[in-house]
Amino acid sequence: MGHSSKWRQSNMAERERDLHILWLPGTASCYGLQATWGMGNQLYVFPGRNPILQEDGVQAHNPEATEISEVRWDTDMHDKLIRRLVNQSHNIFMMLQSQAADASSATLKQQLVKCSKQYRSVMKACSMDLLEASDNTADEMDIERFQDQLKVFEMQELIWSLCEILFIDVAPGGRILIPLLEWLRRHFPVGFQIFKDILQQEKPEEHREYWECIYRLILQGEVEKVRSLLARHPARQTDCFLSMEELLKKMPLCSSNYKGSSLSEFEMKWRHWREDCERRLEEGDFATNKYLETVARILCGDNTVFSHLRDLCQTWYHMLISKLLYQNPTVKANDLQYYTQDCLDDFRCDGMLGDLDNILIAVFEFDSHQVLKECSGFFTSFWFAAHLTDLLHHGGCLKSHRLVFGSDLREYLLLDYAASLMSHKSLWQVGVDYLDHCPLFGRSYLEQYIEHMSYESEKKAVKLLHICERRNMTSQVKSICKVMGMRLLHNDRLGAALTWFLKSKDVAFATLVAEKFLTQYSDKGKFDNLDLIDNLGSSMLLSNRLTFLGKYREFHKLYEEREYHAAGHLLFSLLTSRLAPREFWITLLKDALGLLQLRELVYGSKQTCEMMHCLEELTKDTKHLEAGKQTTDLSELQENISLLQVALTKNLAKAIVTEGTVHPS
Amino acid sequence: MMADIRVKFVSQKISKIRWRPCSRQGFGSSDVFATGSWDDESNSVSMWHLPGDSQGDEDMEDDVSDELVEKEPRLLCETLHRGDVQDLQFLGMEHLITASSSGTVSVFRHHPNSQVIGVSQEWDKLHTFPSQNNCSCTSVASQDETIVSCGEDGKMNVLIVGRRPPLRRIDNADSCTINDVIFLKQSEVVTVNSTGQLKVFDLRQPSDQPTSLFLVTGDQTALLCIDKHPTQHHVVAAGGQDGVLSVWDLRQEKYPVTLLEAHSAPMWEVKFHPNHPDHLFTCSEDGSVWHWNASTVGAASAGAGLLAGTGAGSGGGIAFAASMPGGSGPNPSHSCPWLTLDVSRHKMDITSLLPTQKNLPVNSIDIERQILLCGTDEEAIYAMELPAIR
Repeated sequence: MGHSSKWRQSNMAERERDLHILWLPGTASCYGLQATWGMGNQLYVFPGRNPILQEDGVQAHNPEATEISEVRWDTDMHDKLIRRLVNQSHNIFMMLQSQAADASSATLKQQLVKCSKQYRSVMKACSMDLLEASDNTADEMDIERFQDQLKVFEMQELIWSLCEILFIDVAPGGRILIPLLEWLRRHFPVGFQIFKDILQQEKPEEHREYWECIYRLILQGEVEKVRSLLARHPARQTDCFLSMEELLKKMPLCSSNYKGSSLSEFEMKWRHWREDCERRLEEGDFATNKYLETVARILCGDNTVFSHLRDLCQTWYHMLISKLLYQNPTVKANDLQYYTQDCLDDFRCDGMLGDLDNILIAVFEFDSHQVLKECSGFFTSFWFAAHLTDLLHHGGCLKSHRLVFGSDLREYLLLDYAASLMSHKSLWQVGVDYLDHCPLFGRSYLEQYIEHMSYESEKKAVKLLHICERRNMTSQVKSICKVMGMRLLHNDRLGAALTWFLKSKDVAFATLVAEKFLTQYSDKGKFDNLDLIDNLGSSMLLSNRLTFLGKYREFHKLYEEREYHAAGHLLFSLLTSRLAPREFWITLLKDALGLLQLRELVYGSKQTCEMMHCLEELTKDTKHLEAGKQTTDLSELQENISLLQVALTKNLAKAIVTEGTVHPS
Repeated sequence: MMADIRVKFVSQKISKIRWRPCSRQGFGSSDVFATGSWDDESNSVSMWHLPGDSQGDEDMEDDVSDELVEKEPRLLCETLHRGDVQDLQFLGMEHLITASSSGTVSVFRHHPNSQVIGVSQEWDKLHTFPSQNNCSCTSVASQDETIVSCGEDGKMNVLIVGRRPPLRRIDNADSCTINDVIFLKQSEVVTVNSTGQLKVFDLRQPSDQPTSLFLVTGDQTALLCIDKHPTQHHVVAAGGQDGVLSVWDLRQEKYPVTLLEAHSAPMWEVKFHPNHPDHLFTCSEDGSVWHWNASTVGAASAGAGLLAGTGAGSGGGIAFAASMPGGSGPNPSHSCPWLTLDVSRHKMDITSLLPTQKNLPVNSIDIERQILLCGTDEEAIYAMELPAIR
């Protein structure tokens, strides 16, 4: 997590004015504070080690300060209503990544436009949900919160769709103004709303905002709507109205109807029409009506009239597009930046430029890096910046330059977005997919996150395990299995613990469990987990001890089924192959006692001798017998040993006799 | 074939989704379902209404305009649930049983008139570990008023609705974690565990030992889910952690009759269609939902399935207990395509039902009539219409 902390600090330093101050109750501040990173958006804060010298030279003293506070901060993403944004945009993101990997550049552009629109429609859906929620609640705090979030979504849509126009869905032939006008109308719907309102009226011209509405509409190039309003004016038959109607009708429309004609053809028509406008204005066609005169001056692209109507434009970027519509309708996208300053100057008296203004200026300047940098600082969640960056990255709009901390901007933002998801109790699964698409640090981050993930139920562990297995994260697979297995072990669930150790082929712990099974058997004289032990199959081969356990259990089954010879041979091979742990020999020999006492002969002379050797070895090497045993046990043991010695000797005698006897064939 | 899909984002990961059983067996169709969530700061049990019944509900036909919005599942009511919802089963029309990751088994009552849902009975920490760790209750099953619960402690409890102390505790039901349990007959249950074993318990027997034990393969792959054929109760299908679908004939084999490699990740649920048992559905951690159509395999048995179909659903299995003496009796296996699959595998028709490939895990499915419900980690509920099932 070392990286992550450094990045955040640098990010914070940049945005000092966004500082949040949180009072931590009960922390001994005289010791200073120390902190360590938790999962993503999480800090653990605790008192420092060195007491600060107080002014009077007395050392502050607080030996009780052992509290650790967990500090977490949510981003917008954590709001219930906005969680659908996370999930739906995740789908789009994943689709885009797979398409970008194998699409040709021609189809990729189409895909990018499609994805961009899908992202925007998800934002729209969230706005709708917020609007609905805000309408359905009476709590003023909630309403305020919803309204704030709505404003954020509006801004995001404004920026995103402008980026879409200028970076992704670049209009063919460079006629950038058409989509820009649509963008303008979508985000400044006031004119259209008044227009609808006016149409409802019996006497439209008496509407308080009749002319204002006409100005607004003409500033957005809504010529048809202006004409329909003028046509409702009682003075429509007067000369000045007729002249205006003629001008508006003849205006070469900046619409898709003009797609067929060439750019030069359009420019010629436009020049003619402009000259006509200017002539009529000069000849005083509109001198009788100051409102129409203003409209005519807009049509002529008169700078002063735009400044005059500044308030109707609301913002500098509205004015920019309105001005360009009448001053330079064939402006190229790359030249937009040269026109922004004038409009900004008109609005400058309002004070400092806001964040939004700076972002939009950067968009008009095609400075994609600046756009994303501003966005990531401006919006509290990294959702917006991360997804927009990814889209621009695939569109080839980002120069790949490395940031100081080693990754490029896309990865930096994706990592941060993923961090906010990984620190969420529920959304972490989405975060995993984002980390997959961070080529430099994604993998190591994921490893770190997985190792810090908490899981209690086996179901969640299985899900985590699958995530790791799919990515060949062997050491994490092993550690998940170990955590689960150990937890079960502590809860005396030996069988279940073993399944986890088998899963990760953990020899050491499989051996440990097998030993516990054997101890249990030694203590109780029976096995508890027969359903598992009896069906170990080939997995018993994982560890010697496990193999011994399986085979030893097989011996018992054979014995129970009265398959004495098979049982005897199995027992003998367990003893002599040294598969059995030394401390278990005495148990095996005791088991053999039953076989030795049978009427029929199970062990031949050679085998009996070998077993005698084993017994002898055992009595010599007494440490295996004495370890941890009570003296009473020891005497019992001595008894067992002498019993065995007798039984083995008898068996040897019997075997020699039987082997020496010639059976008539 | 592209199914008609409705999606609702619900802002919580869905671990279980279940149709409410129909009031009239075999007639009409349910339009209410329940969901349970998992792995969040607070989890919940929710009741939903799915409007726009395709089978021609007269009340709904007057407004066609807002069809899309109108057809989205609508939340009726919800209530908090302590711990992850590990399992969810309807008990009749108005009661729901949940299994919690805290080890608790709860019965919720849903009042359909006031649309209120609340706990009516709780067996707190029924499944426990000796230490402080929570012990998950992984699965519950019910038959009439009898509930069986299983957990990571390998224990099985037999509970009676309305009675506090468990009727019976089978402490050593399994050495490993029991992942799923279903009723086979009136007093017989089947469990699957985390070492790939399938066990049949007769609850009337005093012994804690299973009456029979089946194995999936030699390599201990965990079995995660199980469902029984709605009419031929000796046929059961189980899904493994490796995504393999296995079908057993409980009358004869220790090993499955059929092993079908299916999903590329753990299979979370398997469901026979209650009325058309030649159709089977599976969902997986890999984010896919598959429709297995065996109606083209071997002799068609759809007719027989339909005739006996009233036995499916809640509490209807009693009628079969008598006619199903374990292991013997008339042999209907020739009419069950699931038991002859390996011979004619090429005829099996398998469809992937979700539109995109790289989804987050699908945890739960339920099918009734022609509508398949899915609950996902994508925090979405899917309702898919499958008109092809006949």
